[in-house]
Amino acid sequence: MGACTPADSKTIAELRGVTKRFGDVLAASDLNLSIREGEFLSFLGPSGCGKTTALRMLAGFEAPTEGDVLLDGDVVNDLEAHHRPVNMVFQQYALFPHMTVAQNIGYGLRQRRPRLPKEQIADKVSKTLEVVQLGGFEDRKIWEMSGGQQQRVALARAIINEPKLLLLDEPMAALDRKLRKEMQIELQDLQRQLGITFVLVTHDQEEALSMSDRICIMRDGRIVQVGSPQELYDRPNSRYVADFVGTSNFFDGKVADQSGELTTVCLNNGLHVRGTPVGELISSGEVTISVRPEQMTLHRQGDGLAVEVRNRIFLGEHTEYLVNHEALGDFLVLSPRQSELTEGAFGVGDKAIVSWEDSAALVLDRN
Amino acid sequence: MTRRTRNWLLLAPAGTWFLVMLIIPLTVVFIFSFGERAPAGGVVPAFTFEQYANLPARWAAFKNTMTLAPIGTLSALLIAYPLAYYLAVKSSPKWKTILLVLVIVPFWTSILIRSYAWIFLLGGRGIPALLELVGIEGVRLINTPFAVLVGIIYGYLPLMVFPIYVSLDKLDKRLLEASSDLGAKPWRTFLQITLPLSIPGIATGCMLVFILLMGEYLIPALLGGGKVFFVGNALVDLFLQSRNWAYGSAVAVTLVVVMLITVTVYMRLINRLGASREDVSIM
Ligand SMILES: Nc1ncnc2c1ncn2[C@@H]1O[C@H](COP(=O)(O)OP(=O)(O)O)[C@@H](O)[C@H]1O
Ligand SMILES: [Mg+2]
Repeated sequence: MGACTPADSKTIAELRGVTKRFGDVLAASDLNLSIREGEFLSFLGPSGCGKTTALRMLAGFEAPTEGDVLLDGDVVNDLEAHHRPVNMVFQQYALFPHMTVAQNIGYGLRQRRPRLPKEQIADKVSKTLEVVQLGGFEDRKIWEMSGGQQQRVALARAIINEPKLLLLDEPMAALDRKLRKEMQIELQDLQRQLGITFVLVTHDQEEALSMSDRICIMRDGRIVQVGSPQELYDRPNSRYVADFVGTSNFFDGKVADQSGELTTVCLNNGLHVRGTPVGELISSGEVTISVRPEQMTLHRQGDGLAVEVRNRIFLGEHTEYLVNHEALGDFLVLSPRQSELTEGAFGVGDKAIVSWEDSAALVLDRN
Repeated sequence: MTRRTRNWLLLAPAGTWFLVMLIIPLTVVFIFSFGERAPAGGVVPAFTFEQYANLPARWAAFKNTMTLAPIGTLSALLIAYPLAYYLAVKSSPKWKTILLVLVIVPFWTSILIRSYAWIFLLGGRGIPALLELVGIEGVRLINTPFAVLVGIIYGYLPLMVFPIYVSLDKLDKRLLEASSDLGAKPWRTFLQITLPLSIPGIATGCMLVFILLMGEYLIPALLGGGKVFFVGNALVDLFLQSRNWAYGSAVAVTLVVVMLITVTVYMRLINRLGASREDVSIM
């Protein structure tokens, strides 16, 4: 995916120290972000963390309280939405109920001055309908379309204008699971085909991970980390990110020794564990060690944590073990099928040793 | 109880009311309109078109009604729409309630009392006196069509505001954002989205006000001072003063027919407007 968006490609939009307050509510706080031309960027975070607010400032529906919003290098803080080369797919689609499918899709083109010839608009509408696989639906009424079809209409209505930025606010939230998967793939195809920069808002980590070139993780109005899905998975800069992106096991502790390349952490049970520090560690030294379940291995003997197997779920390629350590509590271990075939599977109640590479243990800020 | 009987029971009260208060009186009036005036007032049964032949004598009342009712309706619409728009789209939730209550407040006192207030305002010691202070002399307002129009607009404004307010209030505000997002300037958003989607409210408001105006008699009686009178005033006069029931019935039947024709034409127009957009058709 990285191939179609070289890291050095030009910045198309930018947030510079952007803060947005609604009365007492701090919806966005000091956002700094460069959006690269042609990339698929997602804002990911739980409900209420300010994703929509960030998107609405890019669209021009809200002006930042502080900081600057830039489009193509120009500050556009107070430029109204109808002057911005940006289009949005709304959460509930916001299709015009008194217009046909074709009238909805052609709406943006009809606002252009000087006016475009009618035939040219009709022609482009048909072509765009083909692109979203709704060819021939021109004269349908909006309420005659299913949820999935309405979403395609909303998409077509936006992309027909060839915007510099396409903003999508939880576009798949109202679709059922199967349709959502299909649409995710279609959206990705569409983005590559059109080369338009997509900015997606979602609270669904799977959606963000599978579709995006880069993900911007938000929390309480702040940006916590920006990076490719792989970067966020492998090098989360806080427990929050590690928890949000994928699944991980966390062991709280205090920094014992920070002199070398690896940090030694004294876990709450007195056990010393070495790990790789990521991000800024708070001065108090209150940290957490994060180890992904698939980075852990189960052995019959050797060095490591002595645990007891509590549950075993066979997942085909992997087997997921829930194990219990006397002091550290329950955590998950994911064993590849291959190692089970060589070492033999563990049963519920078996004693086992869990170990991992020092590099797999990340020392993270506990918040 | 079968569904059928239940449905009949649901309709029975309104149906009875309709029959007793509307169909029977209308039938009586219709029959009277072909009768003759009894010497002592009242009506002598007959079958003559004499009363209808006499209608031109009351032409002025019809003319006033048929000009001031549409003009009043349109003026009320033009004043009510911006107000309803402000209430529904622009005002903050807190102010919205206060302003809506203010729109209803006039209904708390009788139209009679409110019209008397206008008699004073438009009369010699009211607005004309103020105008004289700034040097504009000889303005007469009371007992003119203008006075009646002012009274009409004032009295019927809330009836126009509410249906429009409701249709604008339930309008999804994101549609306005979507329109702006697609490059429409505010004025074009209004013309292409807000206005078409508020047509049901406009249609309802206009119909309500127009029909009620056609039968209006109190405002012309008070503010028109016998110079500007509606068909309603003619009816009061014919039935209560001159006791010419037969002629009064003919006038009443004519008014009903004119009203029916106007409303039918109006419905046709509205529905044609809404034919391409089912959701805004009103019938
Ligand atoms: N117009 C508004 N007025 C007041 N508060 C708002 C407004 N829009 C958003 N907020 C608040 O800002 C915060 C962030 O909202 P939002 O950006 O919609 O979050 P998200 O899209 O991540 O769910 C929330 O606490 C929300 O209540
Ligand atoms: Mg949101």
